[in-house]
Amino acid sequence: MNDNHDLIERYLYAVTRRISRKNREDVAKELRGLIDDMLAERCGSLPPTEKDIRVVLTELGDPQELYEKYSGDSGKRLIGQPYYSAYLLVLKIVLFATGFGLLVSGLLTMLMDSLPWYALVGQLLAMEFQGLTSAFAIVTLMFVFFDHKRIPVLQPFNFDNLPPVPKKKAEIPLWEPIAGIVFSLLFLLLFLVFPQVFSVYLEPTGWVPFFHIETLQNHWLILVLFSVCGVGREIVCLLERRYNRKVLAVTLVSNILSALLAIWWLTRTFLLNPDFLTNIAVLFAEDNTQVLSALFQNFQYFFLGVMLFALILNTCACAWKTLKT
Amino acid sequence: MNTEEIVAGWMLELRRGILTLIALAQLRKPAYGYHLVKKLNDNAIPIDANTLYPLLRRLEGQGLLKSQWNTTEAKPRKYYEITPEGLSVLEKAKDEYRAFSQHVDALLEEPL
Repeated sequence: MNDNHDLIERYLYAVTRRISRKNREDVAKELRGLIDDMLAERCGSLPPTEKDIRVVLTELGDPQELYEKYSGDSGKRLIGQPYYSAYLLVLKIVLFATGFGLLVSGLLTMLMDSLPWYALVGQLLAMEFQGLTSAFAIVTLMFVFFDHKRIPVLQPFNFDNLPPVPKKKAEIPLWEPIAGIVFSLLFLLLFLVFPQVFSVYLEPTGWVPFFHIETLQNHWLILVLFSVCGVGREIVCLLERRYNRKVLAVTLVSNILSALLAIWWLTRTFLLNPDFLTNIAVLFAEDNTQVLSALFQNFQYFFLGVMLFALILNTCACAWKTLKT
Repeated sequence: MNTEEIVAGWMLELRRGILTLIALAQLRKPAYGYHLVKKLNDNAIPIDANTLYPLLRRLEGQGLLKSQWNTTEAKPRKYYEITPEGLSVLEKAKDEYRAFSQHVDALLEEPL
């Protein structure tokens, strides 16, 4: 009988352990009475056997399901609609882009390094696993945040704010944000995982990386932030699928953040590989060294300029397309 | 899915809504959960305890039912009873249900 009692208590504990403390004891007490009644009906005046108890508890069903009935429907989903559809779409794109990007950078490594093939395959698999799980986690966390904070992806229905059927030019074709996300992630992967790809072949040293790889890898967070800005904007484009004020606002914020980040980063950190500078100096006549060194010393400012120009161009294009509609 | 499965699925959905109405109506006089389960089953309204018990709690949470532990009997039992607010909800819902049911019947029986 003690064992039987234990079985009932364990069942009740499984049902009530996550119910709020205030109601837990009361629910358990009520269910205990119910089980007692069900047993009495089944066994009459005979003491219930373990089998009787199992039958009755089976009739009451899975404790988890019973708990869910007590807890109601609220807050049970990690990502509910309307976020879920967008989440699935973004997840597919991001996983595809990450997987593909890692494959490409892995194959490039294979061509340049002379590791045995099985070591490369192993590395590739490990990289894919790490990359895909991180990508999955980041996208999921982003959407959990959107859902939790109820960040309005879609506006509540109202006849006045039913959007006009977009003119053909105001529509954002599906491939644009997808390409944007793929490009952002490829950029991130190349710089983080395979910065050697930006190498120049110089006699007599061989392939010399253009960037100082360690510095780049130490600043991984900044590279990730660039990607987050880019991917965030593309996700909004993907959800809206038309140029409007929201897309414009997000573009502005994302581009301003990227620009500030680029200015802060590129003016403070020297990214070029010092070996590259020495090696390239050797190639040219003595008197050109200074000019050359100045050229490459200022390369970062040139690079920054190109970036800012691209960001401004992108912002203007978006503003123009939005205002035209 | 065969015919019976489809019908069973529909009935489950139909009953879910109506059940609240029946429970409220039955609790115009105090009763405990298992008593209600048996009574409904005896009256051809099949219902599982694991559906009714959480439902009673929800209705209590909404203020349509109130409850009290009765410890004078051999076993302590929680008795539920309708509140005045529950009663006015019940009356209104009953009217709505009757009218709705008539309209549904009329459409179902409409000659072709």
